[in-house]
Amino acid sequence: MNKNVGEIIEDLVSLVGKPHVGSDIFERINYADTSLPYDVEKTDLPDVVVHPADSREISEILKYANQNEIPVTTYGSGTSLIFGTKPKHKGISLSTERLQHFKIDEHHQWFEAGAGVKTGYATTELGKLGYFLPIQTQAGSTIGGAVSVNTLGHLTDNVFGRPVNNVLGLEVVLPTGEIIETGSKCLRRPAGWDLARTFIGAEGVLGIITRVRMILMPMPQTVDLVGFYNKTEEIGQFVQAMYEKRVPLPMDGELVGEKACQVGYEAYGLNFPKGALCVIKAMGYTQEEALRNGNILVELMKEVGATQSYILEDEKIKHQIWGVRENAMRWGQEKVLKGYLAIELNPVLPRLPDAIHELEHITENRSGLIGETESYLYGHVGSDSLHCLFAFPFDWDREKMKRVVDEIWNLEMELQLKYEGVGGDWGWLPYRVPFYRKKYGEVSYQIIKKMKALFDPHNILNRGNIEGEV
Amino acid sequence: MEELRSETDMVQYLGKELVSCMKCHLCNTVCPVCDPRVSQGPYGMNRSIYYALKWESFNEHLRDIVYSCSTCGKCVEKCKAVSRALPLIDIIETARELLLVEKMQGPMPEQTNVLKNMHVRGNPWGYPSHERTQWAQDLDIPLTSEAHDMEVLYFVGCASSYDPQAQKIAKNLSRILKAANVKFGISKEEVCSGSEARRMGEPGLFQYLSEINSNIFDETGNKPIITGDPHSYYTFTREYPGKDHLEIYHYTQFLNTLLDKEQLKLSSRIEKRVTYHDPCYLGRRGGIFDEPRRLINRIPGIDLVEMEHHHEDSDCCGMGGGRMWMEPPEGFLPSQMISKRRVEQAIATTSEILLTACPFCNISLNDAVKDLGKEDDLKVMDITELIIMAL
Repeated sequence: MNKNVGEIIEDLVSLVGKPHVGSDIFERINYADTSLPYDVEKTDLPDVVVHPADSREISEILKYANQNEIPVTTYGSGTSLIFGTKPKHKGISLSTERLQHFKIDEHHQWFEAGAGVKTGYATTELGKLGYFLPIQTQAGSTIGGAVSVNTLGHLTDNVFGRPVNNVLGLEVVLPTGEIIETGSKCLRRPAGWDLARTFIGAEGVLGIITRVRMILMPMPQTVDLVGFYNKTEEIGQFVQAMYEKRVPLPMDGELVGEKACQVGYEAYGLNFPKGALCVIKAMGYTQEEALRNGNILVELMKEVGATQSYILEDEKIKHQIWGVRENAMRWGQEKVLKGYLAIELNPVLPRLPDAIHELEHITENRSGLIGETESYLYGHVGSDSLHCLFAFPFDWDREKMKRVVDEIWNLEMELQLKYEGVGGDWGWLPYRVPFYRKKYGEVSYQIIKKMKALFDPHNILNRGNIEGEV
Repeated sequence: MEELRSETDMVQYLGKELVSCMKCHLCNTVCPVCDPRVSQGPYGMNRSIYYALKWESFNEHLRDIVYSCSTCGKCVEKCKAVSRALPLIDIIETARELLLVEKMQGPMPEQTNVLKNMHVRGNPWGYPSHERTQWAQDLDIPLTSEAHDMEVLYFVGCASSYDPQAQKIAKNLSRILKAANVKFGISKEEVCSGSEARRMGEPGLFQYLSEINSNIFDETGNKPIITGDPHSYYTFTREYPGKDHLEIYHYTQFLNTLLDKEQLKLSSRIEKRVTYHDPCYLGRRGGIFDEPRRLINRIPGIDLVEMEHHHEDSDCCGMGGGRMWMEPPEGFLPSQMISKRRVEQAIATTSEILLTACPFCNISLNDAVKDLGKEDDLKVMDITELIIMAL
């Protein structure tokens, strides 16, 4: 850095105005803390947080940072489960929270959103006009973050496509400060070179996405259904059958493992069949079609091991079933375990039941700190991400917490390699860099590093993420 | 009397609760004051408090963050539904108490006089206490000291006693009670319920005020109490000493019972489209959602429609938690923005009248309608005003 912290603050104030520069310790804490189970240290905090209003101000900040080689870490809403928003080299945390432009253009059949628009807000606003946001990440995450990671959350990939399929164009500010427009305003994405695709999924290391233009997708009609299974892996067999028998794929769905179900049932005093459950949103263009598709899935569930399966007509039962899944964040609390970390595994389809079985029993007879944790299995049906939540005592010291986190991440990598998975929900950078290198090899890793150097010669933007620093 | 908590108690309580946060950020998505910074929502507030305790660091910016909460409780519902069910408002109020009592960092500068006024004059604005019942002059409303056959005590609250706009609520409610032949009285000795003192982190002052009011309740024979102030309703039913022996009604509950008994009749038709704003301390925090709607729907001709956010999901007017008496510092969301957003939801329903049942909401929503220049399109009224029209 060619400037001291006082100078940086002063210069940022002159660029965006005093109210939009935060240097107080409590501002800096909030832009550094993550959902990691251990606390941030003072050395993890950025020097300053800046809240630019638009791409022009972002451009000025990045030109300044590039000129003075000041690290800049982009912050959307901090919900990343892979911890890309945590500053690794102090410097500036650049928040996109003020980029709140939102416009639905039905004549062109697209909408535009500033990077800071929350997916929950966009879902609601699009829904008012009968459209659907094909990104269903948690409501507090931002459009900019989701598109940067190219995630659609829990939705079925094969039905909706990823953001890379649904984004028409982007406005991006490069680390050197230039503002570029990519993509199209017509309903066809460019054939051939389309720089939008370079930034979508680049996890923010090549530039800051400031505005997203996406197609308007008509709101599908849905019908909820449930299946109960003796063994969680039978849900994997159902998912295989769903694809093999070419039945209408669902919008999304969730599976809840045996132990997790038991905890949920006990917490809410529910009397559902013992074992695991699978809850699904069947979809169609009309309600009749959704119901027809739902009934096909109900029958398929029965054919493939479900002890019971039915359309969720009763609102109370529907609420209870989804409540069992939504209870996920409290798993472990029944044993006073408040520390937690989740992993993601996306097995290839033929091995889905095996992967489910292994995860369901992952902590049994295991040595190391993982053996001291409690694990709870859940996941998505259709998009086939399995998650396993590890709960452990919150009063473990920081070093022990870090060790268990490392063990859990190593386990995730081991399983992903074994079952030929990728990071389907959350992306790669930074903590999955070792996994990326093992899966794709050093040549692939060097390619993305060279691309980074091409766009960002001083490595100012999200420094440390591509290097795998957490 | 409830014992005041020691610093150790507060720190232990906060530590125990805050460690449970799994940092999902979902609370921020529903917070009315969180815009746009992550540090300003419940997530940022609780993380700030957590690290303040961990690093023994307490400063004015922490105070600004912690006092920006309107205590509307929407985050609590969210956390209960999909996360770890943290008692986020209790955490905020405990942190305020810690900052004010132990760390000399609270309240907000404008609130200092408010607390002093509550202590010295019994009301937040510092009006002379002998003017508390002036609104009732010429209305022939008996004082408790004179009303020997009193069946019900009407606890007016500070806003309806002193604020010219909110006094209308007291006057209208009194007229309605008289029309129903309810034998009620008001007390000259009434002081602030203390609810807002507690919200601002002053439990000692809350205790002092609650003792004065509790003595009035005792002296009047613990008759049923009605109030038009949801903040008083909440604190009487949830926090007052002897709360379990008090029979407390918000007027929307009480008027429904009068209508059920046909002691009150609404005979005039009012052909209006109206919408109802749930005051946070009556609805989400007080648990009363149906009675106000039932009351409104009993007015002949009324067409009640809901706003986008209603019942448990209702949005805040921005005035709770002590925000009535502070202007958030630069960089924080101004209260006017919060109330304007709520009024915009009401405008979207194409209603002619925005009804509410709280003097604070009434004041802030009225101001927002004026700020938006929508006085000709939307009137803000307390439900009592509509009932008067329907008598």
